[in-house]
Amino acid sequence: MDILGSLAQGFAVAATPINLLYCFLGALIGTAIGVLPGLGPPATIALLLPVTYGIAPTSAVILLAGIFYGAMYGGSTTSILLNIPGEAASVVTCLDGYQMARQGRAGAALAVSAIGSFVAGTLGIIGLMLLAPPLANFALKFGATENTALLVLGLMMVGYLGGGSMTKGLLMAALGLLLGTVGLDPIVGSPRFTYGVFKLAEGFQFILVAMGLFGIGEVLVNVERSIKPEVLQTKIKGLLGSREEWRQATAPLARGSLLGFLIGVLPGGGAIISSFISYALEKRLSRHPERFGRGAIEGVAAPEAANNAAATSSFIPLLTLGIPGNASIALIFAALLIHGIRPGPLLIQERPEIFWGLIASMYLGNAMLLVLNLPLIRLWVKLLQVPYPLLAPFIVVFVLVGAYSVNNSATDVGFTVIFGLLGYLMRKFEFEPAPLVLAMILGPQLEASLRRSLIYSRGDLLVFFERPISATLLALALLMVLSPLIRRLLQRKFWEIVGPVPEK
Amino acid sequence: MARRDAVAAAALLLFAVVAAFESARLLPFGVVRNPGPGFFPWWMSLALGFLALVLLGLSLLVRAAPQLDEQRGRFLKVAGVLAVLALYSLALDVIGYPIATFFFVLFMLRVTEPQRWPLALGMALLAAGGSYVVFAVWLDVPLPAGLFAR
Repeated sequence: MDILGSLAQGFAVAATPINLLYCFLGALIGTAIGVLPGLGPPATIALLLPVTYGIAPTSAVILLAGIFYGAMYGGSTTSILLNIPGEAASVVTCLDGYQMARQGRAGAALAVSAIGSFVAGTLGIIGLMLLAPPLANFALKFGATENTALLVLGLMMVGYLGGGSMTKGLLMAALGLLLGTVGLDPIVGSPRFTYGVFKLAEGFQFILVAMGLFGIGEVLVNVERSIKPEVLQTKIKGLLGSREEWRQATAPLARGSLLGFLIGVLPGGGAIISSFISYALEKRLSRHPERFGRGAIEGVAAPEAANNAAATSSFIPLLTLGIPGNASIALIFAALLIHGIRPGPLLIQERPEIFWGLIASMYLGNAMLLVLNLPLIRLWVKLLQVPYPLLAPFIVVFVLVGAYSVNNSATDVGFTVIFGLLGYLMRKFEFEPAPLVLAMILGPQLEASLRRSLIYSRGDLLVFFERPISATLLALALLMVLSPLIRRLLQRKFWEIVGPVPEK
Repeated sequence: MARRDAVAAAALLLFAVVAAFESARLLPFGVVRNPGPGFFPWWMSLALGFLALVLLGLSLLVRAAPQLDEQRGRFLKVAGVLAVLALYSLALDVIGYPIATFFFVLFMLRVTEPQRWPLALGMALLAAGGSYVVFAVWLDVPLPAGLFAR
């Protein structure tokens, strides 16, 4: 079936009243948590996972995806008005967005950010729609050997691109793989590391781990930090920006969208990295780089476009290869698994209503987000005045109910609290929780395909290097391991181009 | 930072050694042409141990910066919240969700960022009662009712 026909079917799924409602809820919750510092998209998706048990898988994925890309819109609001990024992908927006707000141009900054996000998000969906089906067809040729190599590459990329030290990223990935072995063996079904505890036979339930690491872990860190946002007392006027501002923002928007889309396809925090790189690129291309950091609209347009395009394109590895590229996508992956659906190359053929329904809902969600984020901006500013200490107990209560409702067990609540402690310690010791979570999900798949490959090849390890696809993928993985230098170089380059940041 | 990394690396190294030992002790390793249940965990323990050694090495190469301890007071709050959460999970089945949740929220609002008593009490009542009505009554999540059980 041609793409337009499939998309029409997708719209038929996404435009049902119930899916429209979930799409709207996703966009609304996403914007809210994007606005609120101290609660990121992975934590929110983890909190809402239990809620999705009772709804249809398509609706669940529409809701959770809406939260993820909605947060990209909301995150810029706090960057511009508070100089505090609502989520990590909006860090760069602070540099010029806050300066614009201080100069009384908050309206223009918010408009460019919201409309730019809409344009980039929509372009991203078009790219996703065109690229995912052929990529999935290609991935159908993969056997156990190629899958092993692909999963190894995915894990390396997560370690490499997840932010922070690569050694720490890989350490968390290895720990996640190890923790993922608790429970039944994926090939022969015998129990491992259960020590006679019946509860451990099902392994560490991913949802409890995610709720603990992201939900409770994040609250504990914020309890220690004490978040006290101070909203810039400025009147938000000129909410559409001037013609001159739009003229300056157009090309950066286009470049940011393209760059964001390309980087977002890579597993491992594409939205964050793409926003940094697109900012550096704009400053490099600008005839007046000295304006950056002092309220240049290009410095808002490019990173905001990039993070939205990347958020959309990060669905490509999930929907075509079954590899979640970041923590939020991993949780959406988990939501699908809970419903008995395995994302991967067969998804488009076997469950077209989910794939095309999600794509169509993204078009609708982006339009909703534009409405939510421009005319209603004053409402979101009000939300910023809710003190975090009042919010934190409600977040924890939500996690505790969610953890209990997984199996109606108080023991699960205890497990979640333990993983909350682990999440807190990880943040204190500057370890990213995302690689651990991703590795826990990918671990059983990696183990099964590795062992199958070894069985089929009668223990010949050369099989991974003799088959061209797996050899290429492993070569890329090796490149990832050997290239922390590139990253250091990129970071140095970024700060060289960006230069010193003016103080508040 | 270097000291923290060294502590984390040492802890992870210890975990890796225990995991490797336990997988060798408990699980059949198999052979490369037919790997057993212990094959993957053993190799992963080795990978974890190797990476922990790399981190340990790197942390020893970097000179430790003097660390500020200004967050000690706040850390005690975190420890308090964790202790109460542990108590919560133990007491949930005994005293029931509404009462356990009421005291947990009250604790958070009085201890972590102290609020006035009326506000703290009101919010605790709202959180416990409201969430019980939403989840247990409307959404049919069988939360333990404790003293409120019929």
